[in-house]
Amino acid sequence: MIERIKRALAECSIAMWRINDTREETAELFFVKKQLDTRRFKDVRKYEVTIFRDVEGEKPGRGFTSLTLLESMGDQEIKDQLADAYYAAQFAANPTYDLADPVQAPIVEKTDILAKSPLAESAGKAAQAIFAPDVHQDAFLNSAEVFVVHRAQRILSSGGTDVAYTDAKLEGEFVVQCLEPEDVEIHNAFSYDSLDTQALSQKVEEALTFVRDRAHAQRVLKSGKYDVVLSGNAVVTVLSYYRDRAAAQMIYPKYSTWQVGQAVQGENLAGAKLDLDLCATAPYSEEGIPMADLPLLRAGELKTIHGGNRFCRYLGVKPTGQYRKLRCLNAGLPFQELKAEPCLWAVTFSDFQMDAMSGHFGGEIRLAYLIEEGKITPVTGGSINGSLFDAQAQLAFSNERYEAANYSGPYGLRLKDVNVAGVGD
Amino acid sequence: MFSALDSLKPALQSLVQALHREFRYASVLAVQDNARRWSVSQAGVNISSQGFGGGTGFVVRVFDDTGCAEYSFNRFHPQDVPEIVSLMKERLAQQNAALQEGQPGLRPLATPIPADEPATLKKASPFRLDPREMGDQAIIEKLTAIRQKSLATDSRLLDAQLGMVYRHVRKLFLSPNRDLDQSIMWTTCSLAMAATRGEEVKFCYHPFSNLGGAEVLDTVEDAVEQVSADTIAMLESQPIAPGEYDCICDPDTTGMIVHEAFGHGVEMDMFVKDRALGKSYVGDYVASPLVTMHDGSAVDEAATMFFDDEGTFTGDTIVIEKGVLKTGICDALSAARLGTKPTGNGRRESYERKAYTRMTNTYFQPGGDSVEDMIASIDYGFLLQQPSSGMEDPKNWGIQCMVDMAREIKDGKLTGRIFSPIVLSGYVPDLLKSITMMGSDMKLSGSGHCGKGYKEWVKVSDGGPYIKARIRLG
Repeated sequence: MIERIKRALAECSIAMWRINDTREETAELFFVKKQLDTRRFKDVRKYEVTIFRDVEGEKPGRGFTSLTLLESMGDQEIKDQLADAYYAAQFAANPTYDLADPVQAPIVEKTDILAKSPLAESAGKAAQAIFAPDVHQDAFLNSAEVFVVHRAQRILSSGGTDVAYTDAKLEGEFVVQCLEPEDVEIHNAFSYDSLDTQALSQKVEEALTFVRDRAHAQRVLKSGKYDVVLSGNAVVTVLSYYRDRAAAQMIYPKYSTWQVGQAVQGENLAGAKLDLDLCATAPYSEEGIPMADLPLLRAGELKTIHGGNRFCRYLGVKPTGQYRKLRCLNAGLPFQELKAEPCLWAVTFSDFQMDAMSGHFGGEIRLAYLIEEGKITPVTGGSINGSLFDAQAQLAFSNERYEAANYSGPYGLRLKDVNVAGVGD
Repeated sequence: MFSALDSLKPALQSLVQALHREFRYASVLAVQDNARRWSVSQAGVNISSQGFGGGTGFVVRVFDDTGCAEYSFNRFHPQDVPEIVSLMKERLAQQNAALQEGQPGLRPLATPIPADEPATLKKASPFRLDPREMGDQAIIEKLTAIRQKSLATDSRLLDAQLGMVYRHVRKLFLSPNRDLDQSIMWTTCSLAMAATRGEEVKFCYHPFSNLGGAEVLDTVEDAVEQVSADTIAMLESQPIAPGEYDCICDPDTTGMIVHEAFGHGVEMDMFVKDRALGKSYVGDYVASPLVTMHDGSAVDEAATMFFDDEGTFTGDTIVIEKGVLKTGICDALSAARLGTKPTGNGRRESYERKAYTRMTNTYFQPGGDSVEDMIASIDYGFLLQQPSSGMEDPKNWGIQCMVDMAREIKDGKLTGRIFSPIVLSGYVPDLLKSITMMGSDMKLSGSGHCGKGYKEWVKVSDGGPYIKARIRLG
């Protein structure tokens, strides 16, 4: 197929291109309580072609368009689609930039158990890990979905890039439920790049504890300003602000004014100065840029502007590819101490959001613990509506670590004086 | 257009027959996709036909002794039929064996095979201007001109982002008794403007959508002045004092409440899982008598279709009638499990994904009130606009919706003060029962996609009229 596409590109006189050849196989399991709802399998292969075209004239520029080709297409259909995309590219011209530097390397193969085991076998083990803690009478698994994914990626370009790698992921979600005294549930998502059945079982066990507490939670939270403690995925969401604001595609159009060397948390910080890394989750970006771990912030100071080829070239920085995983090197107190002083430990939300544009974070509280002097009350309802611009000067982290496909770092984060809308006013 | 499926159809019918010889049920959904996106912003000009729309491919569904199973693929030649049948048998055997190891408690969910009543259909949705005929150059020029006009409205604007997307999709559903063929085109546009207040970037937007083609682009220019004025006004916005207020929701915000707060709660695959409170409220008042809620294809909007991804014809489901919950919406498998009829709401993100119960066009029926009368009726409250996100809670009917703009109303008049961002929270029936006025004009917006949980994105539209309700804001 690659040769058919190359031949068609040549016949269309298309000189600059990139081909992303992606094959994805999955085994998927869907459960309702302990009953198997549906089994699914997937085997798809896509050839995503990006075509570049230079435009001359008063405002010379370089445009690109992209399209997906399939093996089942005939040669003429492939040629027609490429010609159509090449025609369109002249109307998408932007300031000229150099294409990604060429890279050739042997295939990077993932060789762990998840990558090498049959999909069905890994899916079965993941299902067993999810249901293993489901042995309690009061709190139980309502439903679960398991996706085991094997992916092979090859990237070629007219400039000479030819790299390939394989990848494997275990992803999914589960819902835990508790019937008494109130019938409640909590939704949980998971994503691992290994067959970490122990972590998955622990996550289920923890969720069962939380849903039990949610069933007892009271709607008594009053509006006001609270020190809020976040944990797990909510910490990842807040810290993603720093990755997003440091992205070249945010800086080039001036949505972010950050520059390398800038103290992005502000000056005179009373709390933790952030030490963040960008972590590579694949050996190459989709443009074929080799990816490696990079420092993002050190003591709150921006070290790296990151992003895809075009925007990095415009800014005059080295293209890095786009990062999906953060590592936070900060540490602080044991989690028990982090939440020892009066605070609201918000455990789960209906949907916790961080808006990198406005700096606002928030969501509706499904379960939180109102921690007052000597008293811990599970509460539900109400919402958090905070501004990271206000809160980032006084961050405090826990020592305990939290690992996920998109994060490695402290489990807990304490934020001071956050606006909370209650329900018990 | 879409002739490839015509030539493959006999082989796909052979595939269904071959699978049906081995399994108790077999069907195939074949999808041929054509989509393109154009955008113009400070980041540049972009044209892409990749990464959205769902793609071209196939999904077969069978039933074996364990239950339902599916296989998604995108390479198919007529000679592949025996290989696909063998592969299904082999992979199901592997998966069943893996599931039997170590976890004896797991067992199949009893599922009657959905009805496969004989039916044939071949139908296409209408459109006036095919985006492909309008052409890339004309579309980019039009978007660029509107962008320039937008930026000229106020020097404080940082950016104006213009975009247009169309998807033209043909779907073929074949089973032993059904031969269904539909072509649907929808087109959406977006106009967003940004301005900065220090590090803070404030956005306002206006969505546009239709069941149709590039004719929707003709309506974008009319919104330039309003979006510009709103964006600049947002620079003066303040945080709101948390509390419960009299509120007016504009049609976009009404749509978010209809969809997120209530619609997800009547998706009947949630009834199968005992995840939806609505299951026990059928026949009860869950809203004000002013509220009648629909889902389906009785309107022409971006989520209109003739049959769903499981080969069930679509229709018009009245979910709430004059405040009383009448029924949910349902996919075919859930209907079989619940012993009811599917409503044509079995939808997939793409041929690569499972079908779930999903909304289509979901809206409140209009009433008889004017927005002016609503504003005049409020001593102190807010007009809510610019919904930004929402999340369902079918189990507990909790509300989480966010809007970017709350316009203050005092003594029956808009004061010009704006509060942002706003989190709506509370208990869904409390909000719906508090509706005391229902606007006379209905508007639907189909510019976005809806997720189930945090994934499975499908095109939907939602809306209704302006409504007046009591809502907790924070």
